[in-house]
Amino acid sequence: MWQSPLVRLDRVWLRYRYRGPWILRDVELELGPGRSAVVLGHEGVGKSTLLQLVAGVLRPTRGTVRDRPATIGWVPERFPADQPHTVHRYLTAMGSIRGLSGSDLVATVDDWMERLDLEPYRDVRLSALPRETAQKVGLAQALLQPPDLLILDEPWEGFDEATRELIPELIEEVREDGGAVLVSDHRGETDRLPDAEQWTIADGLVSVVFPTAAEGAEAEGVSVIELAVPTFRVAGVVADLRAAGHQVLRVRSVDPSAETTGPAAEAVETEETPTVGSADAAAGAPGEVPAGTTGRAAAAGSAPAVGATSPTHAVPAGSAGARGVDPGAAGSGAPGTAGESAPRAGGPARAGTPAGPTGADATTPPGPSSVTGAAPGAGVASRAGG
Amino acid sequence: MISMIRMRLGGFVWTARAVPPLAAGLVALVVLHGRAGAEATEAYGVSAVVLFPILAWQTKLLLDTEPDTQRRLVVVAAGRRAEFVGGLLAAGLVGLALVPVALAVPWLVGGVAVPDRPGEVGTGLAIGLWAHLLALPAAVGLGALASRAAVTRPLYGVMILICGVAGTFVFGLEESVVPWLAPPVLAVARASTAGPTGTEFALLTGHALLWSALVIAGYVGLRQRRA
Repeated sequence: MWQSPLVRLDRVWLRYRYRGPWILRDVELELGPGRSAVVLGHEGVGKSTLLQLVAGVLRPTRGTVRDRPATIGWVPERFPADQPHTVHRYLTAMGSIRGLSGSDLVATVDDWMERLDLEPYRDVRLSALPRETAQKVGLAQALLQPPDLLILDEPWEGFDEATRELIPELIEEVREDGGAVLVSDHRGETDRLPDAEQWTIADGLVSVVFPTAAEGAEAEGVSVIELAVPTFRVAGVVADLRAAGHQVLRVRSVDPSAETTGPAAEAVETEETPTVGSADAAAGAPGEVPAGTTGRAAAAGSAPAVGATSPTHAVPAGSAGARGVDPGAAGSGAPGTAGESAPRAGGPARAGTPAGPTGADATTPPGPSSVTGAAPGAGVASRAGG
Repeated sequence: MISMIRMRLGGFVWTARAVPPLAAGLVALVVLHGRAGAEATEAYGVSAVVLFPILAWQTKLLLDTEPDTQRRLVVVAAGRRAEFVGGLLAAGLVGLALVPVALAVPWLVGGVAVPDRPGEVGTGLAIGLWAHLLALPAAVGLGALASRAAVTRPLYGVMILICGVAGTFVFGLEESVVPWLAPPVLAVARASTAGPTGTEFALLTGHALLWSALVIAGYVGLRQRRA
């Protein structure tokens, strides 16, 4: 059953100064109660800006943010630890600012300090805290009053491992209470929130991937797209794909001598003709592809990407260059479609796992390479060669 | 609101940022009034003039104490309006705390001659209080306008503070043709020395409050654009 949105962005544009570049353009989004969404994209692409718009920290240059809930918990990417307050005094003050008082305030602060293991730092000044501990204070202040909307800016960036493990649990608690959660992520850790919607930002445009990755993969399957990528851009393309929520299955180099032989034509043909389920297409050398490399990224079935203004484009399963694979196989990095005739480029970089973008660097040798990826989302950002 | 103000004041005191303006204010008052033996009304008028830039500087320091991200956290927790009202009230309270000091110091360092008639002490204190209270909101407004939350670059804040203070003194001169451009700090000092008439009292009070309101409105406008 459809629920009315908790917060809605209506044709929102934002730039930081007059005549400056647009950071966000014509954004239309909504987030309903009990839902969660992950904002994906490069570092510096505008994820934090979008989160701050939703939180009410920033005001849109054009458009409106409507139906913002009363209680919002915002955890910035870096907690401002340069303050003279002790942990307990700070949390007590923030709880009081949020409207808590008396025994409620004391109990709530004590509860969160205990849950986030902040008790040993009770009387330590914020400025003296280790960075990861200070970040936990930032998390605690956002949760002192159960938020209707919890906004976490890069939650897997500044926390210790124990807190990183706790975050999905906290998100679930907010959702169970009817709240919504918005998370930004450039590390490709979206697998920690398997049922979250995915919003992708690129060039100021935000596209929403519907349905969620898990639902899409389950309902529509996963497809593999081959991409031809100049070797020097492999790392960037892999990072792009992972940031967009897709799974990069493998990176392999291509024998340059094969460029003028038969498989090249096959590879080109594969780009133009659906070859669903074909295993040998991946073996095709790039041939006439100027980049001299080929690659595959997998995309989920037929649900189109929402947000037509996005530079991304949807690739339904079975469309040009895409081949359907078993979702489970794609997720495990063994889609059963990998081209075996081409030399391996140091093996897959945690194939099928949305690892950090640096994974590709370590596995990309000099010379031609190809990228093979699986994307369980409904649309795939395919900018290979672009 | 109280917890927000308390948090700001706590940060201001614990980071020792409260010390420089307090020290500067005390030094200025002692140097100015030391053994001057002036009439109370004249001494207080001059005190208010001297304290005006110090109060503005103090406001800027107080509002700049909180990191930008912390200010945004408070905006999310309490709302934008509550956040900037809390900041202004905190600055006003800190400034208000300096007023009794400024009223007491001239007596302690021999800056005020003991009047022949006891009633003149009360009149002098009342006029002094009026002069300082008129300078306070204008100084808070100027300091807020120069704070990091309102300007895009730190240099702009410093320039606003310097130009604001210089403009107050230049445009406030008796020969000025545009005295309404500046808060009436010098005019109040002149009126204090001579003993303000009822009309002067009303006009100068209205001028000071209107100027302060406009500057604070400017601050609010700038805060609408910046997080």
